[in-house]
Order: sequence, then structure tokens, then C-alpha cells
Amino acid sequence: MTQYIIRRTIQALFTLFLVTIFTFSLIHLAPGGPTQVMISPGVSPEAFEIQKKNLGLDDPIHIQYLRWIGNLLQGDLGHTFKNNIPVGEILWPTVGNTMVLMIAAWLVTLIIALPWGIYNSTRVYGLSDQTASFISYLGFAMPTFWFGIILQQIFAMKLRWLPLSDMWTYGKEGQIGDLIMHMIMPVTVLSLGFLAAYVKYSRASMLEVLDQDYIRTARAKGVKERRVVFRHALRNAMIPIVTILGMDLPMLVSGAALTEKVFNWPGMGRLFVDMANAREYSVLMAITIVTSVFVILGNLLADILYAVVDPRVQLGRKGGAGK
Amino acid sequence: MSKVKRSLLLVLCVFLLGGVLAACSSNNNGEQAAPSNNVSENNQNQDTEGPKDGGTLTLSTISDIVSLNPLFIQDTASSDAAHWVFAKLYDLNREGLVTAEPWSIAAEEPIISEDGTTYTVKLKDYAKWSDGTPITADDIIFTIETIMNPDTGSPAISTFDKIESINKISDYEIEFKLSQVYAPFIYSLVFEPVPKHVLGDVPVNELKAHQYGSNPEITVTSGPWVWKEWTQGQQHVFERNPDYWGEVKPKIQTVIYKIYADQNTEVQALLRGDVDLVTAIPVTMNEAVSKEEHIRMILEPGPQYEFLGFNFDESNFPNNFNPFESQKTRQAIAYALDRQGMIDNVLKGTGVLMNAPMLPGTWADPGARAKNYEYNPEKAKELLAEDGWVMNEKTGILEKDGNPFSFELQYNTGNSRREQVAQVIQNNLAQVGIEVKPRGIDFAAWVEQNLTPGKYQAILLAWSLTIPDPDSETIFSSKYFPPAGQNMGWYVNEELDQLWVDGYSTTDIDERAEIYGRIGEIISEDLPYVFMYRYGNAIGIGPRVHFDEADAPEPSLATGYFFHSINWWVE
Repeated sequence: MTQYIIRRTIQALFTLFLVTIFTFSLIHLAPGGPTQVMISPGVSPEAFEIQKKNLGLDDPIHIQYLRWIGNLLQGDLGHTFKNNIPVGEILWPTVGNTMVLMIAAWLVTLIIALPWGIYNSTRVYGLSDQTASFISYLGFAMPTFWFGIILQQIFAMKLRWLPLSDMWTYGKEGQIGDLIMHMIMPVTVLSLGFLAAYVKYSRASMLEVLDQDYIRTARAKGVKERRVVFRHALRNAMIPIVTILGMDLPMLVSGAALTEKVFNWPGMGRLFVDMANAREYSVLMAITIVTSVFVILGNLLADILYAVVDPRVQLGRKGGAGK
Repeated sequence: MSKVKRSLLLVLCVFLLGGVLAACSSNNNGEQAAPSNNVSENNQNQDTEGPKDGGTLTLSTISDIVSLNPLFIQDTASSDAAHWVFAKLYDLNREGLVTAEPWSIAAEEPIISEDGTTYTVKLKDYAKWSDGTPITADDIIFTIETIMNPDTGSPAISTFDKIESINKISDYEIEFKLSQVYAPFIYSLVFEPVPKHVLGDVPVNELKAHQYGSNPEITVTSGPWVWKEWTQGQQHVFERNPDYWGEVKPKIQTVIYKIYADQNTEVQALLRGDVDLVTAIPVTMNEAVSKEEHIRMILEPGPQYEFLGFNFDESNFPNNFNPFESQKTRQAIAYALDRQGMIDNVLKGTGVLMNAPMLPGTWADPGARAKNYEYNPEKAKELLAEDGWVMNEKTGILEKDGNPFSFELQYNTGNSRREQVAQVIQNNLAQVGIEVKPRGIDFAAWVEQNLTPGKYQAILLAWSLTIPDPDSETIFSSKYFPPAGQNMGWYVNEELDQLWVDGYSTTDIDERAEIYGRIGEIISEDLPYVFMYRYGNAIGIGPRVHFDEADAPEPSLATGYFFHSINWWVE
């Protein structure tokens, strides 16, 4: 197991390295740059050149990359071009803010979706199942920002029960009650989006397992239905869900740019869009790194969780950890 | 050093994402220009009970500041924020004239010598930085010399390029000698000085990276409020400076400058009362906001104007055939465009036709001397025929010597106004047999690949006149070709070249008005651009904000939506 994790980590670091080269080149190949956005056409080309030079942007890309990765290895994420603010100062708070929102949305989703999906698998095409289908279609089809605006109109503008946007009310920073009030709408929007998928996954996964021979055997032996579902079926049905959970993990940090935008949530998704427009290379690279790390961690975690839910999977052996 | 006169401060209007980033322009009006547009839903902002002391004013923006170091401020958000915490040497009055207000650092208006080349500036001897240090001639001189130093990389560098020498007469008196008579120079004196005792020892090439301007704790300021707090991407907090030096004191205790990611949310926040003043309501929401009785809307366009710019460099066209070469053809295009229709349908009334690059309503406005092209497709067809364009019946496109009249019209993507206007242009010109291929390009790429090098066929773009002086030499004179200048369309008109010089070479306002009138005549006849319209976003003010009408927002000025805010009060 340890050996497996080490091997996977080395692989992951190599992947990460490739990701950085790829993104770094892509970002720098895009036309325009941090100084270009700052300076209007034709205005003071001299000032433009001086700023480019001061920022080191006139060096060849590979030199810029080496400098960047050198700093990164020393734990320095760099500074913004526009105002020389350390990238970490901008990035980490947004990572935290996004995680607060996304973890809440994810937990709400799982708490509702998994039991509901399992229940529906036992009563296929019942009222509950039909309702779930309807909500799933709604969740898939409805643009999140649109749903967000509708909620805002009802609960913030008309009824005035909930705050319109932001994470805190000015002067109430740090008060949990205030935070929860601010979270209700964005969490609802995000959960509806996730819910659709997870109810379907858990239902489908359960149905597949319930169709297996050993379930029939169990039933034939006279095992109680409750026991069949929870003991025999659920454990196996969880396996594909774990994969999905692992794959969705990076979403917890990358955030949902649109939802964050509508609710003015100071998260990373929103930051990424802003920084892409400003061509703030160092922030974009930092976000890429953080997201990549989570993608890799998510996959690793999913693999390890396999072993937990399915003892047949033996990590570290060839073919054992295949997806 | 710079050939570009930044004194004009013609800033390109950038609307980056979804038309939301009003990156450079202020929203403006010219109250004289369009009084009928001044929609005031009610007068709740006028209060007979008189000003109240204290309270919180919440403002909003859709992008965070870059830096509050006045040496480098370029974007709207930063200059809006700087308005609250920095005093200027001089301020502008409602008419756009340079004046010494009680909150200006200067004590009186500058004294200009008879030959027009020497400006004497007297400072108040009681103005102080927020750390208690007096503001003196040394700070003013330090600021200007730092900006003039090319190694600083200040965008304002060309503002001062006419200065020959600066003499400190006393701690509170300075004399500027110019290398030539240059009337717009007086507007260069409207700037925010920086403290020499804080930045004086910083090497110039490190100023940009210095924490002054990004760290509130060390950003010593000069204005009625001080910068208390910056939460990245969320908000700024400005608190009233308890030791403010001015004789007129601010009334509002706390100003919160909130950053919204989405314009819709920003406007909803205004309607809900979370925000007290929105400086740019998107055109699409004008109607919804105007229905709200408690919101006062100021619906006047600003000093920015949109234009259809032609390129006169034939190498940008296939076979080196430039279809725009003839004046008659350009006039035909002007007749073929339904500009009023664009104002009514795309701008939803927040625009005013413009025929010359001077702000309507100002002293330099050529008025009726500039030729107005009323929408008249028949006239356009006539002119095109006279000019030798022949309809190819097969393609439905005009031709001259085998070359079809077809061109690419560039604009920046994400700017929904330009996207729509480009389509109208395409339709309008199709009716007279001209094929337009609209092409949206990401703004940064557009600037780098097309605008700066002057490589395009036609563009839909806007200029924002951030100072109220009519001098536009840098964008129309053949002395200012790309990449150094802003004459991106390679326009040449020797008569105009000379008139622009004449225009700034005298400080006599009547003489200047006559010259700009003449320029208006020629330029509207010759059409290096089809001048389209002044435009702008409405300002929305919530019921908590109060001011006397003398202190009401003045959108024709940069940051004019906060005009005289020191006298405002809340609740």
C-alpha cells in the first residue's frame, strides 16, 4: 500500500510537471499580456516597454518558465504583475471560501442524493422515483446562474428573507449565523446541480447490483429485503459512486465560477475568470497548480477508497488498482 | 521623450467581459448638452432638513482596483477609489474648468504669464498628509519629476512633456515654465500628488512594485477619507480622516467600496438597498431600474464617443485597394448609417449624436458648423454612384475596377453594445451594396495585433475624453502614426495637422473656440471616422444619499459621479 502510494505520488508529480509546462506555454502563447491590458493602444510605448522590462516579460518563455518553477520550488507562488501583491495573499482566501461553499453543497447533496437514490432503486418508477427524475432533468437543464437569479428575486428581493449576495454582511465577518444565511441560496443552486447526477448514479448503481445473481440467491435464501439492500447490495453499489466522488473532488476547490459570480461569492472560480482577463500569469498558474493537485489527490483517494469498499481490490499489484 | 501627448488622456474604452468592465471611462454627461435626458424619478435626494453627520455610504464597482498609487493609476476602479482618499492639486468645476476648491491643495487658480508659457501655482499652507506631515511644494515637484522620469514607467508621463523647468519659489509656491504655449497644460495640473517623505528614497524603477498603493497601512494619503482596509476582490473601507486639514469637512463617516462580480447582482443590490450608488447601470437594465421609484437615475451620456474608424493605409486591403480612399465614399457611408436608430434601439436612449470629436455643450463644440449626416440610404447610393461604384448584379455588392466593396469591421468581443452596433452597420451598409464582415476579437489581442500597429480595415471603437479639453492632435494628426501615436488609421490631412497645433498654441478661449469650430467643419466633411454618438451608462442613486443640487453628480467629468461628495450626507 505504502509502495503503491509512493509510486502514484511520483507519477503525480511528473504529471503535475507536464501540466505546468503545458499551461505555462498556453497562457503565454495567448495574445495580449499583463502590460497590454494596462496600457491603451498607442499610449506611451516607452512606458510600456519599461514596464515589460521591469516585470521580466521580455525574456524568452523558457527563461520565464524556469524562473517561475524555480521560485515555486522554493514555495514562492510569485506576485501579481499589476500591483505586486503576493499571489498567495490573493489565492488562499479564495480557496478557503470556495471550499466552504462547495463542501457544504456537496454534503447536502450526498445526504439527500444517496439515500434517495437507494430508496428509488427499490421502488422503481414509483412516485419518489418519478419526482427524482423530474428534479434531475430540471437540475441538468436549468442554467445555474439563471436559477440563482430566480432565487435572488424571490428570497432576497421580494421576501427579503435572505441576503442577496456575498459571504458576510459588512461588520459581521466571522459570525457563523451570518455565513449560513449567505450560504443558503448558493448551496441550494449548487446542490440542485449535483443532486441530479448523484441520485441517478446511486439509483443506477444499486439497480445493477440488485440484478445480480448473488442478490437473487440471498433473496431466495429468505434474507430480509432490508438486509439484502443494505448488507449485500449497498456495499458493491458504492464502488462506482466512490469513483465519481473522487473525480468530483477537484470541483471543491476549482469552484463554480458562475454561481460565485451571481452570488458575489469571493471564491476561486471567480478569481480565475478575473485573472484570466487581466492576464495575471502567476495567479493563473497558481490556480492551475492547486486544481491539478486536487485532481491528482482525488484520483488517488478514489483508488484507495476502492480498497476500503472492495477488499478484492489489492493496491500495489499489477492490475489491482485499475479503474 | 514621448511623442504622445498624454495630456489629452484619450483613453480607450475597454469593455472586457460581457461588456462589464468599464475599464477606463467615466460615465458622463454634459448637462448643457442633453438636459432633456436628465431623468430624475423624484427628488428624494434633496433634503430640506439639512446635512447629517456620520453614517455609511456604500458604493460599488465591478472590478477591483489595481493600485492606489496615483503615479500609476489608469483604471476606473482605482481612480474612483482614489477620489475618496486623495486630494488633487486642482479640481474641476461643473463646467469642466480648472479651479481651486476648498478641498484642492492649491490655494488659488494658477497665474498664467502673458506669453502663456509660465504658470505660477500657490498652495494652501495648511494642507497635510494623513500622517500629519505638511503638503509642500517639494511633494508637488517630486511627483511631477517622478512622473517625467521615463524609468518610472508612469502612464501619465506625457502629461508633463511640455514642461521646460520647475522652480520652487517657496515651500508653498511653484513656477512652471513651458517649452511652448500649450493651452491644455492647465489640465495637467489636475492630479494627485504623492508624499515625498514616503516615496522619495525609493529607486524609481522599484516604485511600481512598491507597497505604497497596495497596502493601506503605508499608503499615506491627502484627502478627506483615509484608506482603512482592502479585502481583495471584496471591498475597500474608507474612514473619515479625523485630522482632515480642509476647511470644509466630510460628513459621511464610512465609505464602503464593494466589488461585485456581476453587473446584474450589483444593480439588484442597489434596488434592495445594499448599495447606495451604482456608477454604471448596464443599458439592458435601464428600464427595470427606472421603474423603481426610490432610485434616482441620471441618464446622460458621458464624454466618450464611439466611432467607425477607417484605415487609410492601403496595405491593409486586398490588392492594395482601399475602398475608403475617397471622401465621397466615406460620406456615403455616413449617410447610410442609421445612427439615431442605434441610439434608440441599442443604447436605449442613453446616447447623443456626435458629428465632431469635441464634446457637445462645451465651449469648443462646433455645433452646427459640423456636418450632420442624416440617415439617407438614397443619398448614400447617389454618392457611391457618383464616386464610380457600380453594382455587380450577381453578388449584390458594389465594385470599382473589379474590386468589391467589402471590408472587415473589427470590435472587441464581450462588448454587447458594439456587437449589436456592428450588426446594424452590417445591415445598413448591405442596403447600399457594401459588404461588412463584422469580427469580434478579444480585447487584449486586438490592442496588440491590430490597434497598436494600425493593422485593420475598419474598427468600431470609442475614445474617452478624460479631460475637458478639445485638443485631439494625437489621434488625428499625421505626426502621431502607430505604433507611437494614436492615429491608428494612418489619417493624413495637412490643414487639420496645422489647425490642431494652432488650437493649443493660444490660451485665448475665443480664439481657440474659433479654431476648433473650423476643425469641426473640416473633420466632419472629411470623415477620418464616422462619428457615431456619445454614450454612457446611467448612474443610479439610492434613497439614503442626499446632497444639495449644487453638489449633485456631474457625469461629464471623470469620477464626476462623486462630484463634491465631501458635501454629501447619508440617511
